[in-house]
Amino acid sequence: MLEMPVLELSLAAMTTTEDQSEPEPVEPGSVENLRELFEEQAIPFMDQLYAAAMRMTRNPADAADLVQETFVKAFAAFGQFRQGTNLKAWLYRILTNTFINSYRKNQRNPYQGTIDELEDWQLGGAVSATSTITRSAEAEAIDHLPDSAVKDALQSIPEDFRLAVYFADVEGFSYQEIADIMKTPVGTVMSRLHRGRRLLRELLAEYATSGAKK
Amino acid sequence: MTDCGCEKALAELEEFLHNELCKEDYTDIAEHMATCGDCEGEARVGVVLTQAVQRACNETAPEELRARVLVRIREIQSH
Repeated sequence: MLEMPVLELSLAAMTTTEDQSEPEPVEPGSVENLRELFEEQAIPFMDQLYAAAMRMTRNPADAADLVQETFVKAFAAFGQFRQGTNLKAWLYRILTNTFINSYRKNQRNPYQGTIDELEDWQLGGAVSATSTITRSAEAEAIDHLPDSAVKDALQSIPEDFRLAVYFADVEGFSYQEIADIMKTPVGTVMSRLHRGRRLLRELLAEYATSGAKK
Repeated sequence: MTDCGCEKALAELEEFLHNELCKEDYTDIAEHMATCGDCEGEARVGVVLTQAVQRACNETAPEELRARVLVRIREIQSH
């Protein structure tokens, strides 16, 4: 189950790569062209990268700094970027590396690093709060939750789970692309995504039922 | 218990929802969903969860950041 045939990956990739534009070779030494190309191709990803940076740093000031640093690094390396390959995934790799190398270290809550090995019960909320309501009621409840509740729930799940959920559900990256971005095996991506979504679902169900009682 | 398709559908639900299955597996599960209310309900919750996350993460970078980044890039270039 962990090893997926090439066909599946390419199917998934087709739905996620929007930039199918023809490769456009950059004239070597043409610095002006490089900047124009960067502004045209990379800068439009700023909103998405900012949203991802918000999930990573959990505050607007750090998110802005992280995005700026990401673009500075990306521009410095843009000459080596192969036109026609997946620019979005390339930018996300730089963002994630930058976050891990410079931000995670300085965070007040130091990263624990062992989250993949924890059992579900150690993460809390293992007993499904959703078993008492019907699936359609649950879907309805989640659908009507305010964005702030969903953001809060996302912020409260372990970082690696949160990022796997973000990459898969918001950005639509394939498991293989997420594995490349997070530098982890595909099996770990699946586990993080499954567990992250299960935790999120439990938190949202809790929020929905406690909200209903008020 | 004979597997009526629920077992496979639930085991591979996340891969089904994230478009990570081969065509045959995808079709098996899609066909099962069409006849099984429970599994279809599970899938619905999964889809709604994804949509809720997408809505919540739909953010716009501050204008000030955009301007700052463009200035930095021009600075780097002129060096």
